[in-house]
Formats: sequence, structure tokens, C-alpha cells
Amino acid sequence: MVEPVTPSEVLSRFIMQTNWYRLSDNRVRYAAFMPNPKDGETSVYRICGILEREVWEIGDREVGLKRYKPVLGRADIGASFVMMKGLSVVPSEPPARHANIVGWPEEKSEQRLVALELAAEAIFYEK
Amino acid sequence: MTMAMRCTDCTTITRLPQNGFGADHVQLNKYFDDIVAELKKSITLGGKTDVLQSLEDLFEECSEEGWDGNEASPITEDAYLEARRLISNLPINLRMPEVVPEPSGEIGLEWSKGKDRVFVLSLSGRNEIVYAGLFGINKVHGVEYFGDTVPSTILENLRRLYA
Repeated sequence: MVEPVTPSEVLSRFIMQTNWYRLSDNRVRYAAFMPNPKDGETSVYRICGILEREVWEIGDREVGLKRYKPVLGRADIGASFVMMKGLSVVPSEPPARHANIVGWPEEKSEQRLVALELAAEAIFYEK
Repeated sequence: MTMAMRCTDCTTITRLPQNGFGADHVQLNKYFDDIVAELKKSITLGGKTDVLQSLEDLFEECSEEGWDGNEASPITEDAYLEARRLISNLPINLRMPEVVPEPSGEIGLEWSKGKDRVFVLSLSGRNEIVYAGLFGINKVHGVEYFGDTVPSTILENLRRLYA
């Protein structure tokens, strides 16, 4: 049984697109958080209690290798902030530690506003 | 009532004082005007040319499904042409945006002045501008019709961002 995501957890969004972050100010862009057009969900990993090295290993193994693209960085954000924006974080295993951000607004402009807020809050780490 | 009048004698980086005379002064003025014209051209058109090139690169990179390594929709030619039209119609005194591919297949244009001062608009090729902005604690979002000119709402938000 997978434990539900709690507000105190930290979520990682792995980035494989160069124009989804900016190194000049080390920020992730809003588009990195926008939901997958097919299912309306944003894929993230729950990284509480594991080492930095293990976080990158998850990214390489579960995201990079499966999609044939290198992981270039990751954006970490508190689950509490995501929930505060009216979104939910739902565990979706396998793979282990995987979850989806769901409940995005229907309105396209509001969806972008929420993505902007997530990007403003997130901390970007270049690989 | 106070009327705004152009100051013709003020010396600025683009204006020489008008208190000279003779052929040398005329020639000097002409050189100066040429330099200023080139300077303006390189700042405005140069910026626009760079953004249009980035847009073209983005269109090439993201025109197939799954370009993000996931299930992103392809950037359509209509979205590309619309983004091109919007960038070309931006006033020359505005900062140029950065282009961002969106997983939905739309093209985002982003103006950023810090982490919580950001304005973005998305173009899909359907004569519609979807926009959202963070101005510190204030937020805006909405949709505008895009005809021949950039809607005033968009320009007002951009001016607000850099105010």
C-alpha cells in the first residue's frame, strides 16, 4: 500500500528540455510544470528521506533512460505549496516514489498562472 | 492646463546641442544622426532578429510529437506563424521575450523580471492570446483576441511588469 503524499514532502520534477530553465538566474520556467496534454497530469517524484545522489539516479533511471533523453536538471517544490494552489498530488507507482500533480484548472489562462506560481516557488538544480 | 512640449535644445545621448553653425557643424550633425540611427537599428531590430531566430529553432526542435521526451503535442506551423506575427508587431521600445515551447503544442513568450515578476502569453494559431502574469502578490490571467495588432491589455501588462 503506497502512503498518500503529505504536505511536508518535497517533490522533484525532472527537466530534459533546455528551454524549460534559465541558467542566468537559475530558475525553472512555467512550461516545465504544465500538465501532459494527454492525461492532464504533471509527473513528479517524492524525494523525502533519500540522498541527493539517489534523487539523480531516479531521474536517470526512470525518466532519462525511458525517454532516451538526458536529464538536465530538476525543480524541487514543497507538496504543501502545490496543494495550496488547489492541486492534488496522487501517488502513482510503479515506478517507486512516482506521483502525479492533478486537478489543474480547466481554463487555459488560469492553468498557466498556476504553473507560473509553481515555477516561482520551485528551486532549480542543474545536473 | 499644462502642455507637453518637445525640448529642442536639450542635449541627450541622441541629440546634439543646436548652437553650432557652418559646414563643419552640419557635417558633424549628419555623422551624429547616422550613428544614432545605426545604434537604434541594432538595439531594436537586433533583439527582434534574435528572438525570431530562437522561435525558428524552437519550431524545428519541437515539431514532432513527444519532443519533450514525454507526450508533448507538436508545435504547429499555425502557432509558429502567429508567434512570429506577434513578435514582429511588438513596439520597438519593449523588451523582447524569450520563447518557450509548451507541452500542449502552444508557443509561450515569456518576459521575466525576477522570480515573482513574470508575464507569459501563449499562442496556438487560433487568433487567441492566452496570458498570465505575476506582479509580486498581484496576479492576472485571461484571453484576448489577436487580430492585426497586439491588444492593449497585453501591452499594459508588459508596461506594468517593467514599471
